[in-house]
Amino acid sequence: MSKKFFLVFVTVFLAVCFIAVAGSQSYAGAKKEVLIGALYPMTGRAGLYGKDSVAAVEMAVNEINSKGGVAGYKLNVLFTDSKVKPAYAVRIAKRYILEDKVNFLFGVVSSGVGLAVTQVSKKYKKIFIGTDHASTRLTVDNFQPYYFRVSNNTFQSMAAGALYLKDLQKEKGWKTIAFIGPDYAYGHSQWDELQYNLKRYGVKYKVVGVYWPKIYTPDYTSYITSIMKDKPDVLVAGFWGGDTVAFIKQAIPYGLFKKMIYFHPDAGGNYELMSAMGDELPLGLILSARHHDNWPDTKLNKEFVNKFHKLTGRYPSYAAEGAYAGIYAIAYAVKKVGNPNDTAKLIKALEGLKIKLPEDPEGFTSYMRPETHQIVQVQAIGVTVPNKNYPPATRMLGKWKVYKAEDLIPPMDYIKSHRKK
Amino acid sequence: MDLSFIFVQIISGLTVATFLFLVASGLTLIFGVVDVFNFAHGSFYMLGAYLGYQIISYWHVNFWAALFLASIWVGILGMAMEFFFLRRIYGRAEEGGFQILLTYSFILIIDDVVKMIWGTEYKTIERPAGFSGSIKIGSAILPSYYLVIIIIGLLLVVLSWLILNHTRPGKIARASAIDREMLGILGVNVPLTMTTVFGIATALGGMSGILAAPLRSVTPGAGIEVIIDSLIVVVLGGMGNFWGAWVGALIIGEVNSFAVAYVPKWASLFNYLS
Repeated sequence: MSKKFFLVFVTVFLAVCFIAVAGSQSYAGAKKEVLIGALYPMTGRAGLYGKDSVAAVEMAVNEINSKGGVAGYKLNVLFTDSKVKPAYAVRIAKRYILEDKVNFLFGVVSSGVGLAVTQVSKKYKKIFIGTDHASTRLTVDNFQPYYFRVSNNTFQSMAAGALYLKDLQKEKGWKTIAFIGPDYAYGHSQWDELQYNLKRYGVKYKVVGVYWPKIYTPDYTSYITSIMKDKPDVLVAGFWGGDTVAFIKQAIPYGLFKKMIYFHPDAGGNYELMSAMGDELPLGLILSARHHDNWPDTKLNKEFVNKFHKLTGRYPSYAAEGAYAGIYAIAYAVKKVGNPNDTAKLIKALEGLKIKLPEDPEGFTSYMRPETHQIVQVQAIGVTVPNKNYPPATRMLGKWKVYKAEDLIPPMDYIKSHRKK
Repeated sequence: MDLSFIFVQIISGLTVATFLFLVASGLTLIFGVVDVFNFAHGSFYMLGAYLGYQIISYWHVNFWAALFLASIWVGILGMAMEFFFLRRIYGRAEEGGFQILLTYSFILIIDDVVKMIWGTEYKTIERPAGFSGSIKIGSAILPSYYLVIIIIGLLLVVLSWLILNHTRPGKIARASAIDREMLGILGVNVPLTMTTVFGIATALGGMSGILAAPLRSVTPGAGIEVIIDSLIVVVLGGMGNFWGAWVGALIIGEVNSFAVAYVPKWASLFNYLS
């Protein structure tokens, strides 16, 4: 009897499972959705970038879905913590493709993770929308047709940086330069690309010191005293996140900022620095980032920043706008093609992407460069000035200098020579 | 060779060394007495920084009072960890494996708790009043707060040496590292000794966290960043040896300081060569 009962139980259980699975499949089939597999760090130092990205993705998805979605499809995003570990992120990306059957891979803060996930995207011919990581290698050296990036890379920041330094040389007559940046791909790319662009724009200078602390170095004291011995006119920094905060805090008591120009054009101007340091942040530092909360002064940027603030209770770091742009880029492509499944047509659509983003000033629209699948954008570099409109920050960037998007992209001979390597 | 620059780098190295020592001191105490390698020690350092931030920014308490309060709290949390969790694995077969598993899981738990309470944004504490400037010695600049840190580090090493070697509680603590069973037979409450030592060690971790907070970014994950260097200091100085840890930290700090100045490309490597 008990055996009979067991058999009946197993049969019923299996039947229920089968019905549930079949039901969910037919439901998914009927639901018509664009499924996006996102990878963002949720822990550690990069966690802030991940949290801001997720909030901005949800904001964009709600905006699009509340208007009925795109081409009859609703957007649906799966999120997983990348743990900033390339091998782990690769496993998740494969799971997204093979089990969840996503239409797009999405996200990633670290260039190291980005370089790993782009290989998965290439192997499985699945489009990967890069929203934050900045290493130029993804769109130049390691370019593959299924990858697209919707935020500026380090080459663009360094080209803008070189142009700024050129102007600054005319104004202040600086002659010597020192560089400090994290000892991995991101830091080295910045220094190589800055030197390339300084040469490209005919800036003459002498290097008096180059320093490579490990990423997340807690103590920069020895670097600071050594840089002060070098007496550069300009110190270029290539840190991101908490490393910028730690370096600046430790350099203040040594009076470093009174003795040299501090120049940090890729990630130095991220809002996180202003919010973390408040009144302690010295005035007159020259910084930039991939998006600014107070520039450009357009309706779209104000709406984006204020809406983000209303939803999360904090102002966004630049990672948020990249993620927001990524969702709108997908919506653009799906709308053009009419479905999220025709990869070849989606690639064509994304190669022709033209999209008005919060970071675009009046008269400019971001667009995709087909040769690199890198978005082309204007970059503004500013100086720290008092501004209490974005608390808890009491300084923001101001006195902007804006650089034309087309002057910031790598020339074709640069791309060709790097792809040969 | 510029002598004043050499002096500046020696002082820089001493500052770096003192921070390394402050974090490593608690770690070496736990290892030496309780015989546990506490991977979560860095997380108590981070917790100290966050509690310090909370006490100073929200309750507007003076930095030095906050330093005291935050260290005590972190010590109590450390005692709770020892009492409720670590105590269950003492003496088990393969205790080492359980230690790694348990203390590592605390890194993840504390990181998530910190994230839930304070969020992921970076927090900072300003340098205490009266210590935001610098002192000029010849052409060398020495931030006054760094001088305080160096003095605290030296006081700590002398004080702990005195307590461990010349007081009864210190001798009991050292004895428990050698033979707990015999100590128990002699009527000493060994479990209480272990919990207390664990509490003092984590309080030292918390204290170094709040002392470092005015100079570093307070962020989730900050604990993992300090644990590796501290581990090198503890191994170099001999597990459980305060003077050894201080000298170990000094070697790393100074070698690193001069490597940064003269062979910057290979500076990171020198930590491990020293």
